[in-house]
Amino acid sequence: MRNTLLIARQEFIKYVTRRGFFISILMFPIWIIIVLMVPRWTSAAPQRTFTIVDRAGGYRAAIVESLARENAERDLAALASYAASNADASGLERAQQPLARWFENPQAPHAVAAFQKSGGRDAALSAMRPFLKPAARPFHPPAPRFVYVEPPPELLSSPSDRFANSARYALDSGRYFAVILIPPDFGQEGHATVQYYARDLSDSDLLDFATGALDSALHRNVLKRYAPQLVDSDALEATTTVNTFNPTKANSQSSRDDSLVKIVPIALAIILFIVSVMNASVLLQGVVEEKSNRMIEVLLSCATPRQITSGKMVGVIAVALLTIIIWSLALFGLMALADARTVTLVFDALGSVATFDTLPLLLLYFFCGLLIYGSVFLAIGSMANSLADAQSLLGPSMLILMLPNLLISGIMRDPNGEMASLVSWIPFYTPFFMMLRIASHPPALQIWGTTALALGTTAFLIWWTGRVFANHVLTTERPPSLTGLVRRALALDRRKI
Amino acid sequence: MTDPVLELRDVTKRFGDFTAVDKLSFTLARGRILGFLGPNGAGKTTTLRMLLGILQPDSGAIAILGHDIADVRPRIGYLPEERGFYKRMRADAAIAYIATLKGMKRAAAFASARRLLKEFGLEPFARVRIEGLSKGMAQKVQLLAAVAHDPEFVILDEPFSGLDPVNQAELEIFIRKLAEAGKTILFSTHTMQHAERLCDGIVVLTKGQKLFDGTLDAARALFPRRARVGADADLSFLRQVPGVQQLSMPSAGQPLWILDMAEGVDGRAVLAACFEKGVPLTHFDISPPSLHDIFVSLVEAAA
Repeated sequence: MRNTLLIARQEFIKYVTRRGFFISILMFPIWIIIVLMVPRWTSAAPQRTFTIVDRAGGYRAAIVESLARENAERDLAALASYAASNADASGLERAQQPLARWFENPQAPHAVAAFQKSGGRDAALSAMRPFLKPAARPFHPPAPRFVYVEPPPELLSSPSDRFANSARYALDSGRYFAVILIPPDFGQEGHATVQYYARDLSDSDLLDFATGALDSALHRNVLKRYAPQLVDSDALEATTTVNTFNPTKANSQSSRDDSLVKIVPIALAIILFIVSVMNASVLLQGVVEEKSNRMIEVLLSCATPRQITSGKMVGVIAVALLTIIIWSLALFGLMALADARTVTLVFDALGSVATFDTLPLLLLYFFCGLLIYGSVFLAIGSMANSLADAQSLLGPSMLILMLPNLLISGIMRDPNGEMASLVSWIPFYTPFFMMLRIASHPPALQIWGTTALALGTTAFLIWWTGRVFANHVLTTERPPSLTGLVRRALALDRRKI
Repeated sequence: MTDPVLELRDVTKRFGDFTAVDKLSFTLARGRILGFLGPNGAGKTTTLRMLLGILQPDSGAIAILGHDIADVRPRIGYLPEERGFYKRMRADAAIAYIATLKGMKRAAAFASARRLLKEFGLEPFARVRIEGLSKGMAQKVQLLAAVAHDPEFVILDEPFSGLDPVNQAELEIFIRKLAEAGKTILFSTHTMQHAERLCDGIVVLTKGQKLFDGTLDAARALFPRRARVGADADLSFLRQVPGVQQLSMPSAGQPLWILDMAEGVDGRAVLAACFEKGVPLTHFDISPPSLHDIFVSLVEAAA
């Protein structure tokens, strides 16, 4: 045991003092920033300016009204996010109850409508001002996605048969992204066709928005014709509110715990994959290096192969844990800088899995997964004589290792379905898949069965790695073929390991 | 008589169809220095790896300090033939690491490492990484790592290889000091001069089989003394001199006539024969066979 811990300590120091370790530690926060920022940059769509020539009458106003509603919805969402980080929530809740309610669900149509009626962004900001924290940042309203401008006279007067030419000139001027022509018969006797002119028809955001606004206007016109008394009724603004319940819980009304509880296991499964690939491949390289500089022979004169392999495993697990701790701290730091609410969310997520029936299993699967992957990489390292040899074995191993990633979305859609239940019994992947599923309460038989399988697989692979290590670590012959590998793994060996 | 530090009985090791070590038996008494000699591929390193428990014999038995290797590992020091250490480790930490694996406490291991480094003039390099040391220094560090835990039995596999003459001489002194301190030493080599100067006994191995096991004197007794004669004339007539068993003519790189003498015969008859023929000699010496000669003769005879 003492030698195992001494080797583990040495392995730990060896890996964490490498340049590669520092680079990987630094790369993760950079990677996270890129992952977070790139979608923001890519989703920050340019503002689209458009104009409408409405020859049917009334539809231009309907689109402009929809546009105002969309801008109000975006304002309300931005204000809700701003208030969460910069305002005293309890004070706001007490003094500005309607505003606080709207902030809870800023996408709800009734909240947006009430927000507009109450004066919109400026009125809400005034109401919030007394409750802003002293260090509150200034509010930056979101830029509207679409901007409507009045059509130029030449477009308004353009005859229908020459409108395409006029639209082209308007687009050439660079003032408009799109021009919409609503013909005189639009909305009459089943005619519902408009003309949309744009240089870039692949960008369909504005087209989708205009189509939606016109659909609503058409429906309202039909109502106006057949049930005019309903047109201005509040009943038309009614939206569905869904109360969700989970009868398996003591407090049957579900909270966000239900979704949060899945975040940590998924994150752990992905982290397991990343740290396994990162640290286990370092383990492999370490063994190849020790073989090539004959350090392994010195170690074997001091400790048994079993002590050496165990020490290496413990060392790499310690490195993995340190990596996870540093990454977590970096992640928390980044989240705190970006939005304090996300830190609360993460703590809620951690709290939601810190239960007696989830956390121990989650940790067990995690360590089993790390040991399984580590064992395989260590065995590969024992059989390879050079990094080139190791690479030739590492390639197929990586493909096998990456396979479960392809099934993540399928398993998350139906965590207790046939496929999820089946693949959870593949020994090499059991920890990974069960981590994904554990929050979805798989049947008890599957939990206990796969736990036993994961433990058994781990124990077998550690034992097998000790054997492979003992038999191959001092040889300089070519790595065995797959059949040779299996034959040797199963062959009786009197070697004391 | 005390129990031997090392005892091998009919030890055999095969790799597939190839027999690397074949029924090898010998013993090594406490406090002795044993030279383990043999040409390349003789089975020396395989035997040493079996002594250390790195390889298991297919048959036969090995007892070290009266026990199985697993029980006495901390009492053994080992220097492998091919040297290597963690390149980024500092010299004192590298020595201390091996010593702690051999059972020493960390503080004591570091103290021992620093003491040995000082003794070998490497104190200024104690905190230098192995990759920053010269090849000779790194080899010394590895040797010190083999003995820092004060082992009773030291196994050195080709300890002189790669060292310059000055370092070889230093190493010889160090091995003698270890022996004087009561350590038992087994070292393999194919440089006979070192073995000749250091060893109390030798074991000669070729193709996995033992050719000789005994003291140097016993080895010398197996072969005739040799006279080496230098002259510008043809000395073939010396073949007729009583006591001369064999005569070898000078050859490229070897300008002297070599005479194998029968046991108990000295060189006077040879000198007298040369005097009678009026041959002026440029060189004459007679001495027991060198270990090099013994080794070559044994290996050639086995081939």
